[in-house]
Amino acid sequence: MSGSGLIGAPLTRREDDRILRGETRYLDDITPSGALHAAFVRSPHAHAAITAVRVPADAAGVVAVLTAADLPAVAARYPVMEPRDSEVRAGEAHPVLAEGEVRYAGQPVAIVLAPSRALAEDGVELVDVEYEVREPVLAVRDSDLVMMGWSARRGDVAAAFAAAAHVVSGSYALPRLIAAPMEARGAIAEHDAAADVLTVWCSAQDTHRPLAQLAHILARPEHSVRVIVPDVGGAFGSKGVVAPEVAAVAAAALALGVPVKWTEDRLENLVGAYQGRGIEGDLELALDPEGRMLGLRARLWADLGGYLLTTTTVPPHTAGTLITGCYDIPAAEVQVRGVRTHRVPTGPYRGAGRPDAAYMIESLVDAAARATGIDRVTLRRRNLIRRFPYRTATGLEYDSGDFERCLDLALGLTGAPAGPRADTAGPAAGAVRGRGVAVFIERAGGAWETAEIALTPGGRFRVSSSSSPHGQGHDITFAQIAADRLRVPVDAVALRFGDSALTPAGVGTFGSRSVAQGGSAVALAADELVARARERVASLTGCDPAAVGHGAEGFSAGERTLSWAALAETVAEAAGAGGDPEPLEATARFQSANVFSSGAYVANVSIDGATGELSVERLAAVDDAGTVINPLLVHGQVLGGAVQALGECLTEEAIYDDAGQLRTGSFLDYSLLTAAEIPPIITGEVQTPSPLNPLGAKGAGEAGAVGTLAAVANAVTDALGGRVVAPPFTAEKLWRALGEGPAGSPPGPPVETTALPHTPSAATARRVRVLVRRGAPALALGLALGALAARGRR
Amino acid sequence: MKPAPFRYAAPDSLTAALELVADEDARPLAGGQSLVPLLNFRLARPGLLVDLNPVTELVGIEVREGTLCLGAMTRQAALLRSDVVAAGWPLLRDAVRHVGHAAIRNRGTVGGSVAHADPAAELPVALTALDARFRIRSVHGERVLSSDQLFCGALTTALQTGELLVEIEVPPVPAGARMAFAEHSRTHGDFASAGVAVVHAPGERAAVALLGAGPVPVRVPAAERALLGGAPAAEVAGLAAAGVEHDHRRAVIRTLIVRALERIQ
Repeated sequence: MSGSGLIGAPLTRREDDRILRGETRYLDDITPSGALHAAFVRSPHAHAAITAVRVPADAAGVVAVLTAADLPAVAARYPVMEPRDSEVRAGEAHPVLAEGEVRYAGQPVAIVLAPSRALAEDGVELVDVEYEVREPVLAVRDSDLVMMGWSARRGDVAAAFAAAAHVVSGSYALPRLIAAPMEARGAIAEHDAAADVLTVWCSAQDTHRPLAQLAHILARPEHSVRVIVPDVGGAFGSKGVVAPEVAAVAAAALALGVPVKWTEDRLENLVGAYQGRGIEGDLELALDPEGRMLGLRARLWADLGGYLLTTTTVPPHTAGTLITGCYDIPAAEVQVRGVRTHRVPTGPYRGAGRPDAAYMIESLVDAAARATGIDRVTLRRRNLIRRFPYRTATGLEYDSGDFERCLDLALGLTGAPAGPRADTAGPAAGAVRGRGVAVFIERAGGAWETAEIALTPGGRFRVSSSSSPHGQGHDITFAQIAADRLRVPVDAVALRFGDSALTPAGVGTFGSRSVAQGGSAVALAADELVARARERVASLTGCDPAAVGHGAEGFSAGERTLSWAALAETVAEAAGAGGDPEPLEATARFQSANVFSSGAYVANVSIDGATGELSVERLAAVDDAGTVINPLLVHGQVLGGAVQALGECLTEEAIYDDAGQLRTGSFLDYSLLTAAEIPPIITGEVQTPSPLNPLGAKGAGEAGAVGTLAAVANAVTDALGGRVVAPPFTAEKLWRALGEGPAGSPPGPPVETTALPHTPSAATARRVRVLVRRGAPALALGLALGALAARGRR
Repeated sequence: MKPAPFRYAAPDSLTAALELVADEDARPLAGGQSLVPLLNFRLARPGLLVDLNPVTELVGIEVREGTLCLGAMTRQAALLRSDVVAAGWPLLRDAVRHVGHAAIRNRGTVGGSVAHADPAAELPVALTALDARFRIRSVHGERVLSSDQLFCGALTTALQTGELLVEIEVPPVPAGARMAFAEHSRTHGDFASAGVAVVHAPGERAAVALLGAGPVPVRVPAAERALLGGAPAAEVAGLAAAGVEHDHRRAVIRTLIVRALERIQ
């Protein structure tokens, strides 16, 4: 099919020039005339009953203060996804505004509308909310409220463990993470009463999921909601569900009959946007004397937060289904408990369950290598899945892959193994080194997308898709796919995204699915257009369609050649003559089961013996994303994912105090990496095409985030002589672990045992620092709202 | 993240600025790198914001009778570009390199960093190691404070209502003095969790100041005496870190001292 060599061409994105010149149009660049600006009264408490909300009668500058009771347009709570074979308590769905109780600090309680955002924030301070504070549940194993349960079982697990020569166990935990896109969330809603169409401009990953969520919440037919997604400054999973604030903005626009705008600020984004990860697990692996895996037991606990948003249930289910990794494990028993806690809900964040599963199983396999004395690479080779399709014990069907080739390539890219570990640790010791190996698999693609393609004057093409971009580079990728099929220059193809009124129905952009699903739909639509054009040429020339040739010049029928431009002219001429020309257009829908990307990552690290500081010295990333359309973009995705995962390894962690208040509520405390912390990342590629779509494509959007954490974690454990430390691997944690010595050694004395005199000034400094710096944003919220709460309590 | 309402004044002379800050509800605005976030979080709620940026007489780096005089509104980035700072007080240049990122140093001022008195800030520690003196003025007059008189606690100084820090004076260091600044932070440009400033003129003078050992910059006389007496780096480091309460921070500070001393051997 490929005549023009566009599949696999490293073309640059066409939007970069516009982005670099600052000519993008983000949500906050749009303000309809007469718009009111929204700010939110938020709960200062992690768990409380609301006993009264008192709105001042005459707040200067405030147009309206609305609570749940004042938004009749809100007909339902959030729609909630029920992953296959799971049990979901849909009654725990997130309300738009609080309904009598609050289940996390930062939960929206009331919306305040004013002519400017500053006035709206002033108005927020005037609303008195009376709370009856309740004890928050924060530890996942303490929660007895399971909002999502899932389990799978295959084979005789008890027999596998009874027959095992080795049983290895491990407990692992990943903290909550904040997606922190450069552009936070937000929306503008405007109701056209005459046409009864609600238009919502929304900073989102795609158009049709927000549309469906809003239509459900507002009980409106989908055709009466139009969602427009302007330029988006990143999402990383955090913009796949519309914010409760967005639904409130839509309901307020309906209630007041004026446009309403809300641009989320950084403080709101940190406390109120759904977070990622927040999962822990206990795993047990049974092996025979040669290290063949016989059975796996896994119990996972996921912190889902106070309520279910639409996709809150998905990441823990994904983690559970992928927990057997790349290994042929005949018997497995997996249980996932997604529990309610009094924190902001969790949801998809780059990887969304995939890094969680890879981290746990790959850590366990390294533990097995240490316990059995079998080399960790040998142990992996002995157990890798080698025949496809492969049905896992958890019910997935892996379509394709070549795990061992990925592993060999990654090992080759990292050079000679790291030197031996230093024998001594502690302040006097030098650096200790470690190397980590991980293989991983990720669920990608799945479900359906549609694409429309139309021939336009001049022999150009317009492709419309609802698999829309927020940084990935859909435009050039889809143009390459269409142009390759049409045998035209890539510049002849223009893409249209981001407006539900102008693009065909679709699912959206998430889960490494855009090329496999959206791209396949584009390919099929282009093929259909070629078929129709062939028929048109046949009818124009009186030739048999089968005899019409298609090439770089257009179409040939006998002696005649008709270019795409000439075909477009025939359509225009027929229209001008009052004829009834069929425009040359085609629509295609593509649906498939999940495809499975995979890869192998190897990390070399060193830990400063004196301070515990971790340096990732080298990372080799080998990915199998199937057939690659644009290697430049895949490379960018892998680097971006790896860098986000390095943040997870080194610094990132959403920390809550015992009262359920976020302590990392600003970028002073929630520490994102800078370019200075990024090690050399060497990428490699294996392409085993997926048999499930016409392109052979899989996915790459999350790969870097999946493989990096597992590889770096194993490298750290290797450096620590087998002692497992939970990410992030901070200097202090690693310094303490070095002081404790290798795993299996008795918990020795800490590095220093000298009791030093207590310095009151130092303690005071820490406290003040906590107040002023560490907890500043949470405190700002607490001060602004807690003071009012206190007033409300008399 | 919009500030609570406030009045705003932008005087163009020190005299006018001093009259405005005499208002009990006034807060001076220097580079705004700490105050503006605090305003936006509504943690600081001044009635009147007195913008010192037009007060050009507070800007400048000069040497008077061997003493380095830094106008309070001198941008932090200016220290990086100053030849006199590089020649006589390179510690200040080394410390400022660790302050945030270029955009922050371009706006942030030397006086603002001192008056804000963040316990994790680099400049107060470097200035403490250099025996700097702080010239403070109000409509009623002028006083000059030492570092230990000025820094009272985290984010707290001896500055009273109506007073402005106008100039920082750094005395000359003995010829041949070497100096170094080292710190530990999670990421490049982040606030330091621990840091050290070391000045050493063999046989003449030694100074060791710590960041992260308390709410204010801490000098460690025992370590300074040992350094002056020719003790090995490990011993100086051990003495310098001995009073640090938190064990990991103590280990980090000890390492930083050793590294700083290695750089100036």
